[in-house]
Amino acid sequence: MDLVFTNIVNGLMLGALYAIVSVGLTLVFGIVKVINFAHGEFLMVSMFLVYLVTTFFGVHPYFSLILVLPAAFVMGMLVQRLLIEPLQNSDEHIMIFATVGLSIALINLMLLIFGPDILNTPSSGLRQPVNIGSGMFLTGQLNILICAIAVVGGIHLFLTRTQLGRSIRATGQNRSAAQLMGINVSWIYMVTFGIGAACVGLAAVLIAPLYPTSPEVGQYFVLLSFVVVVMGGLGSITGALVASMIIGLVDAFAGFYLGANVKDLVVFGIFLLVLIFRPQGLFGGARNLSHVS
Amino acid sequence: MILKKKMTGVIAPAVLAVATGAGIAGTASADEVKFGALYPLSGSLALLGEESFRGLELAVEEVNANGGVQGQQIVLAGGDAVDQNQAIGEARRLISREDVEAIFGTYSSSRSIAASQVSELAGVPYFELGAVAHEITNRDFDNIYRTNPTARHMARTHVDMIVDAIAPELGRDPADLRIGIIHEDSNYGSSVASFQEVFGEEAGLNIVVNEAYPASTVDMSSIVLRLQERDVDIVLQTSYQDDSILFLRQANERDFEPSAIIGGGGGYSMVPTAEAVGFDVIEGVLNADFTQYAVNADFATGVNDFVEAYREKYGSDPRSGHSLNNYVGAKVILEALDEGNGFSPEAIAEALSAVDVPAGETAVGYGVKFAENGQNDAAFMMGMQWRDGALVTVYPPEAAVADLEF
Repeated sequence: MDLVFTNIVNGLMLGALYAIVSVGLTLVFGIVKVINFAHGEFLMVSMFLVYLVTTFFGVHPYFSLILVLPAAFVMGMLVQRLLIEPLQNSDEHIMIFATVGLSIALINLMLLIFGPDILNTPSSGLRQPVNIGSGMFLTGQLNILICAIAVVGGIHLFLTRTQLGRSIRATGQNRSAAQLMGINVSWIYMVTFGIGAACVGLAAVLIAPLYPTSPEVGQYFVLLSFVVVVMGGLGSITGALVASMIIGLVDAFAGFYLGANVKDLVVFGIFLLVLIFRPQGLFGGARNLSHVS
Repeated sequence: MILKKKMTGVIAPAVLAVATGAGIAGTASADEVKFGALYPLSGSLALLGEESFRGLELAVEEVNANGGVQGQQIVLAGGDAVDQNQAIGEARRLISREDVEAIFGTYSSSRSIAASQVSELAGVPYFELGAVAHEITNRDFDNIYRTNPTARHMARTHVDMIVDAIAPELGRDPADLRIGIIHEDSNYGSSVASFQEVFGEEAGLNIVVNEAYPASTVDMSSIVLRLQERDVDIVLQTSYQDDSILFLRQANERDFEPSAIIGGGGGYSMVPTAEAVGFDVIEGVLNADFTQYAVNADFATGVNDFVEAYREKYGSDPRSGHSLNNYVGAKVILEALDEGNGFSPEAIAEALSAVDVPAGETAVGYGVKFAENGQNDAAFMMGMQWRDGALVTVYPPEAAVADLEF
């Protein structure tokens, strides 16, 4: 029983990590209909920013949010305006290549500036273990869990209760109709991409004190983020949260009971089953697939 | 035949790479002999690729100052092996355009494997001074030689260290110790782990866990938990840097305190790793790797002269043991070639077959004697331990500067 509890705690903390990284991806995916392969690199660049701000000003990593959040927002807007928008009407594959290209360019840019070595953002007490019975987590991990839930709730409220949020959803549902209703679609896309990137900025602030920063770090998180986004239902933010927790728990239990070599088999096996029996994802409705038609 | 098939697939990118190839040296004149120097000098492996090249450069300068080989001055033609494709392209360029007698390299195993296929087909000797993958010298090639210890030697040192040093220090019978092997799941980690298993079983060790994980993992808590549940006394981890840090941190945070943790090269040798996990956490952690500088200079004879020469030329301390190992490998080979008769592959093979340098007479400590497959069978890795923020050699005893302690 103790071991089950330990694994549940591990799984939830891991799930929260995937969730916080995936929220921005699913938003961009659902609204702008772009599969952003540079998502992991947004995270990586933001983590470097967190490191620079934290060490330069000698502040707690969480304070870097004041600078990192706007910076990530602007970075997202610029990428949408300068890279994605000119390609908006071209083939989907072109956009995929564009974001893959951006990803490679960002990795190599960081290699050029910082070299391949790791950088360590000070953990500032966030690696403090907390024991509850047989369960153990770090305070930083708990913060990730709280923030993941808060961000998902916040974005949900924002999308359903505000005028801008409604415009964003309208654009996501049908770009042409939204445009006919007088919504500035180009601006909405920029804002959405900006918000998606800002979510990644928040994730970076939370993750940087816990993981070493290197040009490759984005790659570590991004694959499972895609799994989470697709499994949750393209564009469903609540779905991404639930899917993250499922993947986290499966990861923890399979890792412990079956072994680290087998756990990916189980994770991706479940992913395949979801794709086969519920291709729209756990929480995806037909609405979210509107870009296909 | 299989080789030829493989080759046709890689010619197209190779041509491309030649066009962008870097590193050009002057043409060799009558009293000069030209060798290729193939290392990753840009891209993500540039730092240690360059560090490796510096060792070769110092060896060449020293040999040239002493009259060169067979009365000829050595000229190096550089090649930049950024990735496998470019390694192939650069090897082709060095052989066909630069007309080198042989190629030195490579630091990276994957680049070495790719480039040496080209040199083997062209019948040009390839001297590997730093790549560890077991298969490099196990492909039935005629013209490959390797001076450095390999994945097999790493596992050998791990097991020997447990039996000869760790178990006595713990006051335990080696067979009673519960060993856990964890490793990243690419060729590197898997091959070291498979040798650990073979040598461990030979030595009668009790291996209770053997697990692979992807190096890009972001959570190792389930592995730590498994090791805890199985009461593992000694953990062997073969890993890169991020996963070394992750494991050491999560083990510490979960109060998992095995009697010994032994790393395999890579992440465990680097100071940034120690900084990331904390010097108090990494204190006492063991490692097997190439010879480093905190080593007994009576055994690694000439190591201090090397450091001095390095400082003089590059204005800083060596950044890792890679330069030292490349230096020794290159020097032994060049000195052997000096005794030979010409630079044909046959003459080189004959000259190298005569090499027999015993342990304790090189700056890396290990000796050099090439086996049939071209591997230096006298090579071995050193056992090291993190002590007061530095990695010091503790095994074998004749190379140690401190006793292994917990």
